[in-house]
Amino acid sequence: MDATRIASTTNVDIEATGVRVPNTPQDAHPRNPEDANVHLETKDVHIWFGQRLIIEKVNLSFPENSVTALIGPSGCGKSTFIRTLNRMHEFIPGAALAGQILYDGKDIYDAHVDPVDIRVQIGMVFQKPNPFPSMSIKENVLSGLHLAQIKYENPDEIVRNCLERASLWTEVKDRLNASASSLSGGQQQRLCIARALAVNPKVLLMDEPCSALDPGSTRRIEGTIKELSQEMTIVIVTHNMAQAQRVSDYTAFFLAEEGAPAQVVESGRTDEIFMRPKDPRTNDYVNGLFG
Amino acid sequence: MSSSTLEVPGNTPTPRYFGREKSRTKSDKLFSGSIIVAALSSLFVLTAILIYLGSNSWPVLVEQGISFVTGSEWSTTDGVEVFQIWPMLYGTLLNAIIGLVIAVPVSVFLALFIVFLAPRNLSKVLTVVIDILAAIPSGIIGLWGFLVFTDTAAGWGQLLNQYLGWIPLFANDQNQFARSPFIAGWVLAIMIIPIITVVSREVLAQTPQELLDAARGLGGSLSGSIRMVALPHARGGIVGGVMLGLGRALGETIAIYFVLNLIFDVNIYKILNPEGGAIASMIVAKFGEATPNEINALLGAGLILFIMTLFVNLAANYIVKRSQREKLI
Amino acid sequence: MTITLEKPINPVKPPKPWAKRNKSTVISNAIAVIFPILVLAALFFTTEIPGPVLVVVVFFPLQLLTAGVTSFMDKGKRGIGDAVLSVGCVTAFGLVVALLGSVVLSVIARGFPAIRFSFLTQNNIYISPTTDLTYGGIGHALLGTLLVVLIATLIAVPLGIASAIYITDIKGRAAGFVRFMVQAMSGVPSIVAGLFIFAAIILTDVVGFSAIAGGLAYAILMLPTVARTAEEVLRLVPKEVRDAAVALGSSRARVTMRIVLPTAKTGLITAVVLGVARIIGETAPLLLTTSNANNTNLNPFSDPVSTIPVYIFQYLGSGYQTSIQRAWGAALVLLIVVAILFGLTRYLSRNKRGNV
Repeated sequence: MDATRIASTTNVDIEATGVRVPNTPQDAHPRNPEDANVHLETKDVHIWFGQRLIIEKVNLSFPENSVTALIGPSGCGKSTFIRTLNRMHEFIPGAALAGQILYDGKDIYDAHVDPVDIRVQIGMVFQKPNPFPSMSIKENVLSGLHLAQIKYENPDEIVRNCLERASLWTEVKDRLNASASSLSGGQQQRLCIARALAVNPKVLLMDEPCSALDPGSTRRIEGTIKELSQEMTIVIVTHNMAQAQRVSDYTAFFLAEEGAPAQVVESGRTDEIFMRPKDPRTNDYVNGLFG
Repeated sequence: MSSSTLEVPGNTPTPRYFGREKSRTKSDKLFSGSIIVAALSSLFVLTAILIYLGSNSWPVLVEQGISFVTGSEWSTTDGVEVFQIWPMLYGTLLNAIIGLVIAVPVSVFLALFIVFLAPRNLSKVLTVVIDILAAIPSGIIGLWGFLVFTDTAAGWGQLLNQYLGWIPLFANDQNQFARSPFIAGWVLAIMIIPIITVVSREVLAQTPQELLDAARGLGGSLSGSIRMVALPHARGGIVGGVMLGLGRALGETIAIYFVLNLIFDVNIYKILNPEGGAIASMIVAKFGEATPNEINALLGAGLILFIMTLFVNLAANYIVKRSQREKLI
Repeated sequence: MTITLEKPINPVKPPKPWAKRNKSTVISNAIAVIFPILVLAALFFTTEIPGPVLVVVVFFPLQLLTAGVTSFMDKGKRGIGDAVLSVGCVTAFGLVVALLGSVVLSVIARGFPAIRFSFLTQNNIYISPTTDLTYGGIGHALLGTLLVVLIATLIAVPLGIASAIYITDIKGRAAGFVRFMVQAMSGVPSIVAGLFIFAAIILTDVVGFSAIAGGLAYAILMLPTVARTAEEVLRLVPKEVRDAAVALGSSRARVTMRIVLPTAKTGLITAVVLGVARIIGETAPLLLTTSNANNTNLNPFSDPVSTIPVYIFQYLGSGYQTSIQRAWGAALVLLIVVAILFGLTRYLSRNKRGNV
């Protein structure tokens, strides 16, 4: 498995660092996400904080080995929603949830499911780069394996493999024992991606991974996302329309009407959402009329 | 006219720096002056303590020489006055160590419980309970330790001796279990648990949420996340809290006075024997009937205690501060 | 355009699916909790092994083992760490609650019988260690404590608040140094404060054993508490408030006295109360400075004066049953005073949060 992964990642193409035009012929993604090989889906998800309903009735499918972007005005609950997908939501006091989140057909909120298992299989990268400051680069990459108590051999190979897939290897290969806090913001975020990859997740959730980064770092991370999507399902929250267009195969548009909880106004293939939106509100939003 | 000089290339204007605004009016000067004088009162007091204790005890310290701290005899009879505090000095440290051995794990677990495990209402209540425990006067702890706790703890000591007496630490050659360093250690533990818990709770509660999120998002269990993220983050603060507790333990007087037998014969490790020492308690015990020279010797013992606790306290504050600064960077 | 939104579902209690417990988890938790207790109880009633030994040798390891095993079966390897953590936490919690409960309940249960009107108001003249509890009391000690604490407050509060003003408001050149000194002073053992005042004032015959000497010793212990709390409180006064006053042309003294201190008023009162709570139960410094007395002495400048902590010390030392009851009674009064002071600080700080 590792061998094939390395093979697939060494095949770096120029496209990975450039803009990706949606709707190109080689895109094998079906028009309707439900028709693809669905990996993760939500059924009638409602989310509360205390008594306040903030997300209402979200039905989304995330097809295998694709990138889905969640877009919408800030404060409409996209970050909250993405945290429910790997059970990080429940750490927030007062949080509540209804509906189902099906991963490989099973509800991850079922009482028989160990949330820790879910978080190993569905990894997460956060808005602010958060490497463990007391650990070296190498220890950071391996930290997930220690935390989830997964046995491993060949730590050096795992570190190299993960850092390569997160496109950080060449920059840090000579100082793997340096403190993670010595890296720049963009490098730290890629280290966080490498750290998430080490436990071998099938899904990677990214909550505005580039919002704290400069354009150069953003480009590099977008390239990484594009590559990773060949082997895993990625869900990314972003405020950046251009970024959604560059990296994602599918897009879901969240919107909270005044005083009402947020809903998914429209979802589908990214090119459809951006070129031929069905809902006028989507059209206004993607064309920058509000938000 | 001045503008022309400024425009000469390479001749950059001299910047003006603004220092602290000086007090202008008379009343302002008076105000600042009196505040400064008052603010220096701590320096004044600390220096005065050193001077008064030092100068009063100096003749005795010179007379007794180094054996003041290394010898084990305290006697005013026979016309020869011998003042040596080694058993008290050592006993002070022994009590404090026993206290820390009990208090540190309890405090750290309690702080973890309050911050990470307990339901929110319980953790609020517990925070208050710990504050109350910290506010109970040492005289009351001494009273309780003397009349209530000694019996219980002596029973524990007896059992320890009965089952583990073959370990030298738990040997007892007096067949008497009350008033031992073991009990003094427990009483000290009760007094320093709140100090260590309060500091540990504060630093643990400041563990950055994004680091905890990262650990949990990677599939860390609660204990794993605490071990890998929260404890490394809080380590400096916890060590500082332990040092603050140590400072308190070294200076504790009344509670120890009631639960420990003060013997001028150093008890190195037999913590269940009814023999121990504590400088502060010894001062209270000897003070009432002391001869003038003996008073000066007690002042000397106080000086040594003062320097010892000052050092521990400053080290504690330094460690806490440094760990906070690291977190800021 | 028309937007039709479905009526939002808003149940009274939003569901928390993660709060549901899977049956096997519930059972294994129950086993981990009940089984060791059952074993402990069985052994306690059927064997002669003493209780503490059973707890340490049987119950505790068994508790760790069952928690570890059940947790392992439920969650796999990483469950073990969680089990150790929970057992450790609950043990620490139980130990602290038991010890604190023992202290508080003993003081209440044993002190209560001594409390009566005469106990609170009468002094101690003509009272021998065996005199019946209906005669004599702590009235003189209450007044003495009040006097000593009042003197300490009058000295320590201005100095403590001035130190805090210097550090936060004036931000003088020596601010760091003053802070350092205040911290160093907070580590002074209470016995050393007593020794110092004894050496500086009593040995030099400035005054004898008296309330003023006790007040000075207390002030040394009180100052750092007041200064540190006041510093934190003054830091909370928003910079904008000061800026606004400065921009209006106020002098520095006026900004501090008229604007900053009133803004932080409740916080400063809290600092004072915390300082009083810190010192009020201290025995050691008073033994060396106020000594002890049986009569009521309201002259702060001469003659020994009795205080509650020293009263407890005196009667505990005598060893007679009624004396010990008096000591418990005085301890209960002291505990109630500390509790009131403590409640006051919490009340004040709650108000403060409400205002700001």
